Parts: sequence; structure tokens; C-alpha cells
Amino acid sequence: MPVTIDYSKLRIIPDPDTREWWDATRQHKYLVRRCNRCGHKWFPPNIPACSKCMSMEIGWFETAGKGVIHSYVVVVQPIVGAFVGAVPYVVAVIELDDCKEEDGSVTRVAGVLTNDETEVAIGLPCEVLFEATNDPKIVMPRWRVSGSAENTWKFSE
Amino acid sequence: MGALTDKYCIVGVGETPQMRPSNRTTLSMACEAVTKAMMDAGLAASDIDGMTSYQVADSTSSAHVATALGLRLNYCLDIFGGGSSTEALVAHAIGLIEAGYAKTIVCFRSMNGRSGRRMGGQIPGGPIPVATAMDDNQFNMGWGWTTPAQRFGMSAMRYLRDTGCTTKAFAEIAVAHRYHASLNPKARLRSPITIDDHQRSRWVVKPFRLLDCCQETDVAAAIIVTSRERAYDLRHPPVFIMGGYARTMTEAPQWNYSRPVLHYVAGNYGWKRAFGMAGISHSDVDFVSCYDAFTFTTLIQLEANGFCGPGEAGEFVKGGRLQIDHELPSNLSGGHLSEGYTHGVQMVIENVRQLRHRADDACPEWREGRHTYDRSKGCRQVKNARICCGMAWGWENMASCLILRGIAA
Ligand SMILES: [Zn+2]
Repeated sequence: MPVTIDYSKLRIIPDPDTREWWDATRQHKYLVRRCNRCGHKWFPPNIPACSKCMSMEIGWFETAGKGVIHSYVVVVQPIVGAFVGAVPYVVAVIELDDCKEEDGSVTRVAGVLTNDETEVAIGLPCEVLFEATNDPKIVMPRWRVSGSAENTWKFSE
Repeated sequence: MGALTDKYCIVGVGETPQMRPSNRTTLSMACEAVTKAMMDAGLAASDIDGMTSYQVADSTSSAHVATALGLRLNYCLDIFGGGSSTEALVAHAIGLIEAGYAKTIVCFRSMNGRSGRRMGGQIPGGPIPVATAMDDNQFNMGWGWTTPAQRFGMSAMRYLRDTGCTTKAFAEIAVAHRYHASLNPKARLRSPITIDDHQRSRWVVKPFRLLDCCQETDVAAAIIVTSRERAYDLRHPPVFIMGGYARTMTEAPQWNYSRPVLHYVAGNYGWKRAFGMAGISHSDVDFVSCYDAFTFTTLIQLEANGFCGPGEAGEFVKGGRLQIDHELPSNLSGGHLSEGYTHGVQMVIENVRQLRHRADDACPEWREGRHTYDRSKGCRQVKNARICCGMAWGWENMASCLILRGIAA
């Protein structure tokens, strides 16, 4: 069953460091931060400096929005009203395929999957999609499992 | 060894009952806790000249409490913080006293953690009807990922995957801490539980069940730090501060989930400093406290602080090893899971009582330091309790530690 979120119960307030990120999701683009000096990438985008070289001259990198599930939780007891009808829903940390750097550092993002828990495992590939909300200025990224993989790991009760 | 090892002591401890709800202000509760800590130490108003506290914009201030109680302070400060703050404020008090800014400092935390601001963000009627996401919350509230249980669950899940540990290890911690609560008349939850009870409790956020989560509580608690020269003349045998670390951090902040290993938490960076300062090894530790906002936070901190190797914590806690009379008793008062949730102060308080050999249990002569050690009669005093390692958790990225030594055993 698809996991449905009631976005009428959620207000997102962008700030000067994140406005361009939310502008991009409206155009169905998934951005991460990129340092103009050394090329390091990171998320979330409200971090205003590069943790590798301390530069504050920073820009954006448009990812393909594809990655691998690094970990996940299954929320059973909802806390935010927008998610009351969505439980149990899966929040995952996703390691992006196109943000791996030479020194081994990676960029991971988090998001809600459209899949329910039976379809989710650590190690599975997934991809971003975008959902309209009640606020025309805010488009929310979601993620869905996009294939299969070997050596996946699934939480067993 | 640290330059100040054993030069400072915790001399007074006190707290309100663990309430839900309190129907009281944080100012009223703080005044009670501070007064009780002063009476416990045998200190008068004129002896206290420093006060600090921590809060998350949910509590009264040192200035209010001191003024209400007629204490004229030479130093007061209220910091922003939750778990890991108590131990950091003890370290801070040592520095202030050593430098001459104050002589005797009270540190408190007062919170209506259940009836007021709840750490998970819930409101009394249930889920937040309309949530506003700004600042860091832009990148978690929108994906329904806000509460400590939901956040710590992410590193816990990866830990289970990486190590082969199962939630039965979580259960060991819930069972051990509840057993200790059953020996503590002050604890909120005192009925012993089994591994099966844990495994059957309802899900909150997988991999955490209800019995993995702490008790939200309305409570205030206070401790008093002073130099050993002043401590000698006070009511109780001194408890010496041997070493610690104070709000040590990982290299990447909590909100950056790109850390190489999600569950490589801050304690890994701190424990060599703490044990070096104390001049002890793990085998010298008679018992521990280990911040149990969740069972997992105890598990991962035992590993992070070197009590076992990487990935070994699940095995380490098996078979009741954290229970009193076993290898490494943990959270003797029942901890946040079963006694009540004080953002960490209560663990330091219990450690002090144990090291004084005056755990406030069912033994008729506990005030004189005489215990039966008969658990069936409600004694929770650890035999020969001399050294304790207290490990505190802020988030994955922040931790504190306090190693204490007593002379009463
Ligand atoms: Zn850079």
C-alpha cells in the first residue's frame, strides 16, 4: 500500500541558505551542497561551510537522485500530524551514488520511502521522486526502491 | 593522571520525586532539589556561591533559584543542553573553583519533561496537528523523522546490521535496569520484567519497542561540587572526581548522516582521556551508569567507552551481566528507563549514593552505611563499590563521562 502523507499539516519555512534547495525541488531537481574551492559535497544544505577546507564559497551539485539504503527505521507511533495516516512508514538514510569522493567520503541524505517496510532492506537501490504539497512553493522529495541487490539486510523481529 | 584528579568532590545530592504530572513550576521543583542537596551535604546558604543549570528553553534559571533561596552567588550560568550536560557542568565547576571564581557550586536540572516540553516533541493531546519545519527541522520533519527514538533508531538499525546483534541485547538492558528499579523505592516502574516482556512490548519505531524507551518525567535534581578540603568536614564520606570527558564530539555533527560509521559515537573519542586522567583501567571499575534514554544508548556507549571491542556489546551484555552482583552492574537506580528521566543528573546522584555506601534502599540502616546485600529484602547497594564510570549521551555526536571514587566501602 502506498504511504500517503498529509502535507496540509506540515509547513516548511525555507531560510536564506536553503531557499535555492527548495526552489530546485520545485523543478524536480535534487541538490546537495558543493564546495567551490575543493569540490567536497554534503547534505543537509543549511550547513554553510565546507567541513574539509572551511571555505564558505559554496555552490550546488545536482545529483541524479539515485543511491543505496544505508539504514532505515520504521515509524509505528506518529508524532507529526502529517504522518498519522502514513504509519507504519519507512525513513531511510540513503548513500548517493554520484557523490563518492576520492578520499572515501560519501554524501548521505534522508527521506521517506513510498514503499512499505516489507519492501525495504539495507543495501537496496532507490531513487528520488517528487510530490506536490498544499503549498505551491514546496515540493517534497520522496524515495522509492528501484531494483534488487545482493547481500541486502532486513530487520527481523 | 590529571592535574586535578581527586582534588574535587561531589558532596551533596538531592531531587524531587519522579512525577507525572508535577503540577508545579520548574522554579519550585528546582528550589526543592537544591535545598535537598544542601541539606544532604550539610551546607548552609552562606556556603553556596555558585550555581549552574542546563535546559532546552524549558526551565527556570540559576538566578531565579538562587534569589528565591536567598543565596548570594559569585557565579551563575545556565547552558543549553540535555544529556551529557551534568558531567560537563561538573568539569566546569572544577575549573571555576580551581581558578577562584567560586568555592562551592550547585548544578541542577529542572524539567516538566512529561507535562511540559516533551523531548520527543509530542503535545498532551497526541501528534502535533500542524508542524512547522524551520532551521535543521527542514531536513527531518518533512520526512517524519524528528524524535530521539526515530533519530537514534537509525544508527541502532545499522548497528544491528553491521554486528549481528539482535534486539534481545536491548532487552538485557531493559531487564537489568528494571531489576535495579525494583530495589529503588523512588523509581516509577518497579515491577521486574523479562526478556520476553521486552520482546512482546509494542513498537514505537523499529528497531525500538516501548520497553526500549525511557520514562518521560517531571523532576528536578541537583548535585554540589566543592574542593576536597571543604568536603572532609561535611556530612558524608567524600566522593572524589577522578576524571572524565565533557561534551566530547564526533568529527561530524549529528545532522550529518555521512559519518563513515553511523554508530561510531562520541564516547570513542573520549574514554582514553577519562581513564588516563583517572589513572585506572576498565577492570578497576566496580559499576557503571550508562545514559539510557533508550536501551541502545547504553549498549553503544559500553562499546564506545572500551568496555568491550567494536561490535561486541550485544555479547557483552548477555546473561544479565549488567545486573547487580554480576560483572558490571549498570544504572543501579533503574536509570531513565525505569526510575525516571532527569536528563542524566539522576545517574550521577545514584553513583554518589553507591560510592558513599548509602544507597537509599529498604535496608533499615542504610543511612549509617550498613546494608544486608539481600536483594530479596530490597537491598540495592553494590558490595565494595569503590570506583564508578558514568557515561552520558547527548546525541550520537556528543558524550560526557565522569569517573568517581568513594572511600566508604
Ligand atoms: Zn572545501
